Amino acid sequence: MPGFFREAARRIFAQELKDSNLTSRDESDQYAPQYLLTPTGAKVNRIFLVGTLIEKEDIGTDSEYWRGRVSDPTGSFLVYAGQYQPEAAQFLAECELPAFVAVVGKTSTYTTDDGNVLTSIRPESIQQVDELTRNLWVLDTAKQTLERIRAVEAEIDQNSKLAKEHYLTDTGHYRSIVKKALESLK
Amino acid sequence: MKQTAESIRDRFLKLGIDVPVEDIESRLDELITKFKVPSNEAQRSVTNYFLKKYSIPKNEFYVRQAEPQLTKIVDISENGQWANLKAKVVQLWENTHESISQVGLLGDETGIIKFTEWKNAELPELEQGESYLFRSVVVGEYNGRFQVQLNKNSSVEKLDEVIGVGGGDFVPAARESELRNISDLVGGQWATVKGKVVQLWENSHESIEQAGLLGDQTGVIKFTNWASSELQDMEEGKSYILKNVVVNEWGGKTQIQLNRSSSIEELDEDIEVGSATSTYLGAMVDIQTGSGLIKRCPECKRALVKGACPEHGKVKGEYDLRIKAVLDSGTSTQDALINRELTEKLAGLSLDTAIAMAADALDPGVVMDKLKTELVGRYYTVTGHKLDRYILVDSITPRTSLDREMIDEMLVELEVQ
Repeated sequence: MPGFFREAARRIFAQELKDSNLTSRDESDQYAPQYLLTPTGAKVNRIFLVGTLIEKEDIGTDSEYWRGRVSDPTGSFLVYAGQYQPEAAQFLAECELPAFVAVVGKTSTYTTDDGNVLTSIRPESIQQVDELTRNLWVLDTAKQTLERIRAVEAEIDQNSKLAKEHYLTDTGHYRSIVKKALESLK
Repeated sequence: MKQTAESIRDRFLKLGIDVPVEDIESRLDELITKFKVPSNEAQRSVTNYFLKKYSIPKNEFYVRQAEPQLTKIVDISENGQWANLKAKVVQLWENTHESISQVGLLGDETGIIKFTEWKNAELPELEQGESYLFRSVVVGEYNGRFQVQLNKNSSVEKLDEVIGVGGGDFVPAARESELRNISDLVGGQWATVKGKVVQLWENSHESIEQAGLLGDQTGVIKFTNWASSELQDMEEGKSYILKNVVVNEWGGKTQIQLNRSSSIEELDEDIEVGSATSTYLGAMVDIQTGSGLIKRCPECKRALVKGACPEHGKVKGEYDLRIKAVLDSGTSTQDALINRELTEKLAGLSLDTAIAMAADALDPGVVMDKLKTELVGRYYTVTGHKLDRYILVDSITPRTSLDREMIDEMLVELEVQ
């Protein structure tokens, strides 16, 4: 299929995803994916995260609709799975808390009446994993976040420039988030 | 539009008829402006109108226009163009299709071009080595190369003079295509490659002599040696130079084909298929359909789709286990094909167990689910030969430890700031 490529799954800490509110989409193409630009300039469509599933709740009214909260060293991600994510929904229905989980999914955003942007994840898959995998992810994400922080400081590409312009990114703040995450591995 | 009208008028003037330019213009205007007809269609329609009005036979009119202006082969540059050529029949090929009467190569002082003469053109038979005047042949483009076609409207006239062909006599074997790296091959060209036969595939299709993978220092590519090429067989693990092979692309994949004009020579050296091996580190983020317990065609080993082989139709398949995995580094993704042996080791699941599981659940999907549960979300390092978008995995190892040094280094950098 020419022109088709798979979106890489970005590595973002929960805190940074929560701070993100800039979405973009190629309006001329109805099948164009939606991207979320984060304060360190990651352009996210797909995301990969590993953390601890600490809460789950079926918030559906007619059919099952599961909300899971997955925490990492910096905060937590909200994961929503309903009838269109049957494997992930089944996982949430059956698993016991707490558990280390690996989630691959797409980010989605919701703007509240008072203009706040809430971010959440629509999972493609959720698997139970071990602690080592969780630690590997924290290190992986710390490394990639730090690389993006450096890029924003140097304003080396379009995404870093745009992120700095929109969020007035305080890179010191994100450095301290990376540090906090790394220290949790000690 | 004014120009178009003028050019129509000029054409008629040559026939001795003065058509008022206003008449032409008003007709053109009606078609183009009011009825949104494309201007070249309008031009044709208006021309035909006046031909009819002045009772000029259409073919007379158009033939005059096409009166021979000779084109040199080197100047052929436009698909759909009509041309008149003086050329020599350099080579006649065995024709492959019942609707074709003759096919081969024509040459003149400037170059060589393929020609096809359609059966329904009903033209006299051409002889190799003779020169002809070809009138009204059509230029076509196929796979990025031009060729000329002789059809019903074409005519052929034998010449007494002999047309010289660029650079003397043309002997195909003397013209050897350029030696190229496998990674540099792109579709639609001829090439010579040096490489080692990395893999030979079982292939029982009668029109194929051998198929498999050929590798050099730069990459690996699929090759097909057609039975009609009448070339020697190659052995796995030996290195060869393959001269004059055709490179083409199919479904986005580049491959090479050996035919009648190709040649194979065994080499004494052992070509290293070095950097074709690549390593990728990442998290497994997906296992794609077609993974798990699958059935393969007993004839050609291709995976069956709904119990049918794309080549051999409905067959009784043989079970196999494999994974089509997607690995993801966070900035890129890599597809990886994991064979049965590695899949069994990685998932701790033998083929027999998988078959039993599927039978138990009446659903081969349970095997795929099991693989997903065991493998997705974990970090791996894979190595293997790269083929198109896949790495054909030779080894896959889960990451088993944290890089403490990296943590410390990063913390030091973060302290300083």
